Amino acid sequence: MDRREFIKLAGITGIGLSIPLNISPILIDAAVSPETKLAVASGKSAAEITKAAVNAFGGMKKFISRDDIVVVKPNMAWDRLPEQGANTNPEVVAAIVALCYEAGAKKVKVFDRPVNDARRCYVQSGIAEAARAAGAVVSYMDDRKFKNMRIGGEALREWPLYQEIIEADKVINVPIAKHHGLAWLTMSMKNWMGVMGGSRDRIHQKLDQSLVDLSLVIKPTLTVLDAVRVLTANGPQGGSLADVRKLNTVIVGTDQVAVDAYGATLFGMKGSDLGYVRVAAEAGLGTMDLSKVNIMKIDV
Amino acid sequence: MQTLRRISQGIFLLLFLFLFIQTQSRGADELGYPVKIFLDFDPLIFITTLLSSHSVQKAFYFSFVIIIATVILGRVFCGWVCPLGTLNNMAGAIRKRRSDRTNIAWNRVKYYLLIFLIVSSLFTLQLAGVMDPISLLIRSVALSIYPLFEYAVRAIFDALYAFNPGTADGLSEPLYSALKNSILSFQQPHFKQSAFIGFIFIVILGLNLVQKRFWCRNLCPLGALLGILSRYSVLKRSVSEGCNECGACASVCQGNADPDKKDGWKNAECLYCWNCDDVCPQNAVSFGFRGHRVDVGSKGKFAGIDLGRRRVIASALSGIVAVPLIRVGPLSRSGALSPELIRPPGSLEEKEFLKRCVKCGECMKVCITNGLQPTLFDAGLEGLWSPVLVPKIGYCEYRCTLCGQVCPTGAIKKLPLEEKINVKIGLAMIDKGRCLPYAHSTPCIVCEEVCPTVKKAIWFEEAAVRDREGRERTLKQPRVDLDLCIGCGICEAKCPVKSRPAIYVSNIGESRSGGNQLLL
Repeated sequence: MDRREFIKLAGITGIGLSIPLNISPILIDAAVSPETKLAVASGKSAAEITKAAVNAFGGMKKFISRDDIVVVKPNMAWDRLPEQGANTNPEVVAAIVALCYEAGAKKVKVFDRPVNDARRCYVQSGIAEAARAAGAVVSYMDDRKFKNMRIGGEALREWPLYQEIIEADKVINVPIAKHHGLAWLTMSMKNWMGVMGGSRDRIHQKLDQSLVDLSLVIKPTLTVLDAVRVLTANGPQGGSLADVRKLNTVIVGTDQVAVDAYGATLFGMKGSDLGYVRVAAEAGLGTMDLSKVNIMKIDV
Repeated sequence: MQTLRRISQGIFLLLFLFLFIQTQSRGADELGYPVKIFLDFDPLIFITTLLSSHSVQKAFYFSFVIIIATVILGRVFCGWVCPLGTLNNMAGAIRKRRSDRTNIAWNRVKYYLLIFLIVSSLFTLQLAGVMDPISLLIRSVALSIYPLFEYAVRAIFDALYAFNPGTADGLSEPLYSALKNSILSFQQPHFKQSAFIGFIFIVILGLNLVQKRFWCRNLCPLGALLGILSRYSVLKRSVSEGCNECGACASVCQGNADPDKKDGWKNAECLYCWNCDDVCPQNAVSFGFRGHRVDVGSKGKFAGIDLGRRRVIASALSGIVAVPLIRVGPLSRSGALSPELIRPPGSLEEKEFLKRCVKCGECMKVCITNGLQPTLFDAGLEGLWSPVLVPKIGYCEYRCTLCGQVCPTGAIKKLPLEEKINVKIGLAMIDKGRCLPYAHSTPCIVCEEVCPTVKKAIWFEEAAVRDREGRERTLKQPRVDLDLCIGCGICEAKCPVKSRPAIYVSNIGESRSGGNQLLL
C-alpha cells in the first residue's frame, strides 16, 4: 500500500486521527461529502511537496491524457527574485511541467503577461529557466494571439484573451499566494489577469466580479497554489524579505474557489473575507465552505 | 588591396551591428557585451569630453589606440574601420564612376567644424556628439533606421500571419521567430523625432551622390582630427618615375588627397583606401614606410590645405561665442527647466550632465521600456537629442541599471542596483480631478499595485463617499509618500486614465539636483 492509497483509504474510513501522517481533523468532516478535494502538502522540498500533493489525487494521469497540449500558467508578473515571493516558485512550476510530461503530455507551454518588463520577469523569477529545464516551451506572449472573446459576465462582456490558453487541451493554474492592496490576497482566480490582453488595469474598478467572470471562462483542470513562500505585506510585488514568510506548502485542487478559500486561511482570513471568493461561490463556481471540503494533509 | 580593405570594412561594420543588436536586455542584470566600445575608441569624443568636463572615463584609453595608429599609419581608421565610412562607401556605389573632384574646397569645412567643436568644448560646451560619426551613426540607427527596419519586417510577417494563420505557422512563423531571436528587437521601438533624425542620416548618405564619401571628405570632424594627427604619419604614399600623369588615380580617390599631383599628395585627406595603387596602369604608386618626403605644409598651409588664418580664427571665435549664445536662455535659471525633463537614474547634475552627454542614443536604445526618448529643445539647444524619460511611453524599470552601463562618457553614472533603487529621478503627484477614486467614486488601485519601492510609496487613505444615489461607499484613495517615491513613473505609465494620467511624474525632487528640491 503506497501513500496515495493509504490516504484514500484514510479519507473513506475516516480514521484519520489515528494515522501518523498528520491528517487534519477536517478530513473526518470531509468524508461526508467527498466531491471537493484539496491536497495540502508541506515539507522542505518545493518539488517534492508539489508531486506529493498531485499524487494525493491519484497522480497527474488523472488529469492529463496522452498527447495533450497543456498550458501551465504561473504568476511571473514581477521583476523579482524567487526568494522575494512575488512570483510562483520556479521549482513548483518545473515539478508540474515534469509531471505533465510523465503523464504523457505532448507539449507543455508556460507563459504569462507580466506587469514589469517580460524579459526581466521571465529571467529574474527563475521560472523560464526552471520550466525550460523541465522541457516546457516557454514563450513571451505574442500580441497577435490575443483575440476578442465573448465572456458574457456581469462585469466583462468581452475581452481579448490569449488564444493559446483557450485552445489548450488542459490548463493548469500555478499561482502564488500573496498580499494585494485591493483584493487583500491574490491567488488562483486573480492569476487569470495574466492571459488578458488590452488595458486590463481597468478591471480593478469591478475587480471581484471581473475575476469571477474570467474564471467562468477559463476552466483549469487543476489549480496548484504555491505557498512555499508567501508575501504578507507590500504585495503583490513585495521586495523586502521581511515581508516573506516561509510556509513550505503547496495546495492542489480542482476547485479554484476552494483553493483560494483555503489559501485565505494561511493568512489568518476566511474565504468569505475575500470579495471574489464570495462572488465566485455565489455564482456556483465552487465551494468556499471548507467544512465541506475533503482536505488531505500530507507531510513530506 | 581593395579586397582586403573591403573585408576589413565588412568585419568592422558587422561587429558594429552585432554590438548594436546586443544593446538590449535579455532579462539579466548585465548585457554581457561591450556594446559601447566603438565610442570608447573614438578620440574626438575623448578629447572633447576631457576638455568640457575635465573628466576621463577609463574606457577612453582605448582611443589612444586610434590616435597612435593614426600617427603612424594615417587615416586608416576612416578607410578601413569606420562603420559610417563603410556605409558611405556602399551608398557611393550607386553613383556612376566619374571624377569626384569639385572646384570648391568643401573639404576645409570639416576642419572649421573641428575647430568649432574643440574650442566650444574647451569652454565647457559639448556639441561634438551631434557631428561625431560614431555617435551620429549609433543615434541614427538606434532611433530611426533600426525601428524603421523592425517596423517593416513586422508588418510583412504580421500580414502573412493575418492572411493565413494556418500556413504561416509552418512557413513564415519559424523564420519570423528566428529573426526575433537574432536581429529583431524584443519589441517595436518607438522614438520621438525618428523621422527627423532619419532624414538627416539619409541626407548624409544621399550626399554620396553629389560626391563619393561627401561626409568623410568634407564634414566629418573626426576625420579632420585624424587628418591633423596623420600629418607626420610614417606610412606614406610615393609615386615612382613611371607615372605618366594619366589621372586614373584622381577619379578613384576616396578623399581629397590629390593623388595625381605626385608630390602634392595631401596625406591628411588620404583615407588610405589604396585605390590609387590598385588602379595605376603604370604600377607607379606605392605605400610604404620609406617613401618620399612629402610636403607636409609650407607656411600658412596645413598638409597642403590652405585653411586660411582668418577662417581658422573665425571658427574658433564662433566656438567661443556659441557658448553664451546657447546658454543665455532662461533654462539655466533654476526652476526654469521643463518639469518633464526627467533624466535617467544616475544622471549627473544638469550642467555636468550636458558637459558629458554626447547624444549617442545608447541609453535610449537599451532602455528596457522604451521610456528614454531624445529631447528636442526641452534642455536647450545644448541638450538636443539628450535622453529624457517619458513615463507615458515607458517607465523606469526598478531593478534595471542598463542606461548607466552603456553611457560612454559617464553622463549617466553606472550605479550598482542597491544604489540605483534609491535614486530619485522625480516625484509622482496625483491629479485629484482625474483620479477615479477621488473624482469619480470608482475603485482603482493600479498605481499602488505597481509601485515598486520595497515599502510602497503609494498608500491608501480610506474615504467614505456617496454616489449619485446617495449610497455610501468606502474607497481607497491613493496618496504619495514623497519620501519614498523615486519618480520611476510606473504609476503614470500604468494609470488607466490613459489620455492624461491621473498620476504623473515631474522632475522636482530629483536626487542629482541641489536646487530642484521640494521637501525640507
